[in-house]
Amino acid sequence: MFKRINIFWKLIVTFMVIIVITMMTMDIATNLVPPGISAVLAGVIIAVAFAFGSAWFFTTYFVKKPVEKLANGMNRLAEKEFEFRLDERGTDEFSSLASSFNDMADMLTSSLTELDKTRDYLHGILESSADIIITVTPSGNIRTFNTGSENALGYRRRDVIGKPVTKLFLNPQDREVAIAKLRFTDNVVNFKTKFLTKSGETRNVLLTLSRLRNSTGEIIGTIGISKDITEELRLQKQWMQSERFVAIGQVFTGIQHSMKNMLNACTGGAYMVRTGLKKDDRKMLEEGWQIVQEGITRMTDMSMNMLKYVKEWKPRFDQVDLNKTLSGIDQVIGRSAKERGIRFSLKDVPELPHISCDAQMIHSAVMDIVSNALDACFWKEYGEVEIPEVTMSAYTDNDRQEAIIEIRDNGCGMTEDIIAHIFTPFFSTKSKAGTGLGLSITSRMIDVHGGKIDVESEPDKGTVFRIVLPIDENSRSKEIIDGKKGFGSRR
Amino acid sequence: MAKKVLVVDDDENTVKFLTTALKENGYETLSALNGKDGLEKIRSEHPDLVVLDVMMPKKTGFVLFKQLRRDDEFKDLPVIMLTGVAEVLEGLDTQTEDDDVKPFDALREAMRKSIREMRDEGLIKPNMFIDKPIDPELVVARVKELIGS
Repeated sequence: MFKRINIFWKLIVTFMVIIVITMMTMDIATNLVPPGISAVLAGVIIAVAFAFGSAWFFTTYFVKKPVEKLANGMNRLAEKEFEFRLDERGTDEFSSLASSFNDMADMLTSSLTELDKTRDYLHGILESSADIIITVTPSGNIRTFNTGSENALGYRRRDVIGKPVTKLFLNPQDREVAIAKLRFTDNVVNFKTKFLTKSGETRNVLLTLSRLRNSTGEIIGTIGISKDITEELRLQKQWMQSERFVAIGQVFTGIQHSMKNMLNACTGGAYMVRTGLKKDDRKMLEEGWQIVQEGITRMTDMSMNMLKYVKEWKPRFDQVDLNKTLSGIDQVIGRSAKERGIRFSLKDVPELPHISCDAQMIHSAVMDIVSNALDACFWKEYGEVEIPEVTMSAYTDNDRQEAIIEIRDNGCGMTEDIIAHIFTPFFSTKSKAGTGLGLSITSRMIDVHGGKIDVESEPDKGTVFRIVLPIDENSRSKEIIDGKKGFGSRR
Repeated sequence: MAKKVLVVDDDENTVKFLTTALKENGYETLSALNGKDGLEKIRSEHPDLVVLDVMMPKKTGFVLFKQLRRDDEFKDLPVIMLTGVAEVLEGLDTQTEDDDVKPFDALREAMRKSIREMRDEGLIKPNMFIDKPIDPELVVARVKELIGS
């Protein structure tokens, strides 16, 4: 009960009790003291003694102890005993102080827990990252070194912390270069460099270096995050090598296929020459020799085409009227198509802007695609109703600033597998005629114009080839104009 | 009476030297330059054997061959097939459909698939294929094996 009362009232009550007791004491003392001693003096002495006693009791019990408890609490908190709390029973000022103390301790505990969590989280990120994450002091010494770094470089943390970071670089100057770049920017991204592992191996890395600043913006060092790309580079190299083998394989298979067809003529022709000689049959000998010569001619053509394919293509740009080019082809092809029973037509071509291109190359490219279209018709077995047909047309796409020459046939069409290979040198589906270089050369010719060839096809339905040429000369890169576009690049 | 051999190939030179070689060995010869004409000649002339090129316009050798095998009248007609890619036969049994040993060679892969299908249907006979460059004397020897002289 007493504890619930305010200190002020405790004081008043205590004071009144003291007065009452003093008066009673004085009264008793007056009666009890032996005669000769002043009863008043004795009363006063006893009362004063009692008052001091009471005051001592009061301060000890109500002030000193609670203050001590508070001080003890503070000490324990300071000694990181964060779960310590004060007894806050009562209503006096000390109780509310104790309660405030406990609130403060609660807040401190939760902030600390939060801080711990954040720290653990950040630490977790740092540690679980497979990347090499190293922080460095402004003087260039390693401050932190994560597990990713340990795994990649083979050093233990304790071996390197405090050591110069340059010792991790294969060429220590690399770090100077990266740091020099940091002068102009806060981040150096994907800087290619090489680290040296503890066992002396070289690791290729992409280093992203950033300045570390504190809350006031002061530079407190750098953080480097490096990605080990050694394995990636190795795989890439391996992949490129295997790609190269595949490409070489493709070319060899193609050449062998073409050669087989040419050798076929030579072998068969030679048989006839041999038999003609044996039988003294001049006609057979001549026919056989004719076949052998055709084989030789085709081999010569193929070797010329191979040279043509690898040469540096340099278009001679002129202002060309595509209408004129197409009607020229129409005249040349129209008759031979008719002889093969194929309807060939040039659709009414709208007024086209003159296009800067090499007229000769565009003519060859269109001719090649048209002759493929005619072959596709020739190869297809048409039904009763359908008529073999090839149409040429040209138009512009003004939005894209492109001129398009379209060659459409209703011939045998191609599967997706075939389409994927039509621009590959020596790939041919024609057993006799093709060298497999026609479309490869055509695509290079369009390529050096900064254009492209689009193909749509469906087996037994037909094929659409679109030669797309840029109208705007400025859209062409300088390499194209100089004819330096690299060998093998397409589209 | 001389046995009749039909040569179907879109390459006139091949037709020329093969018919010459067959005639030299006492066979009567016929020829066609595409699969469609070939089928018509088979129907009208009833040859004793057909030498068939695989890659041909209008109707490929495979298509024509399958048509013959499904036709009661011609299902036993001996056929020799000429291919530029006889090596597709190698590894026919060891390679599965999704095996991409030659991923770039769509044509060969397609042919391998056709041959596999034909084999599964029991249409393929040993020594049926002759690879290019074609040796006319080898063709004659095969023809002799199949139908005699």
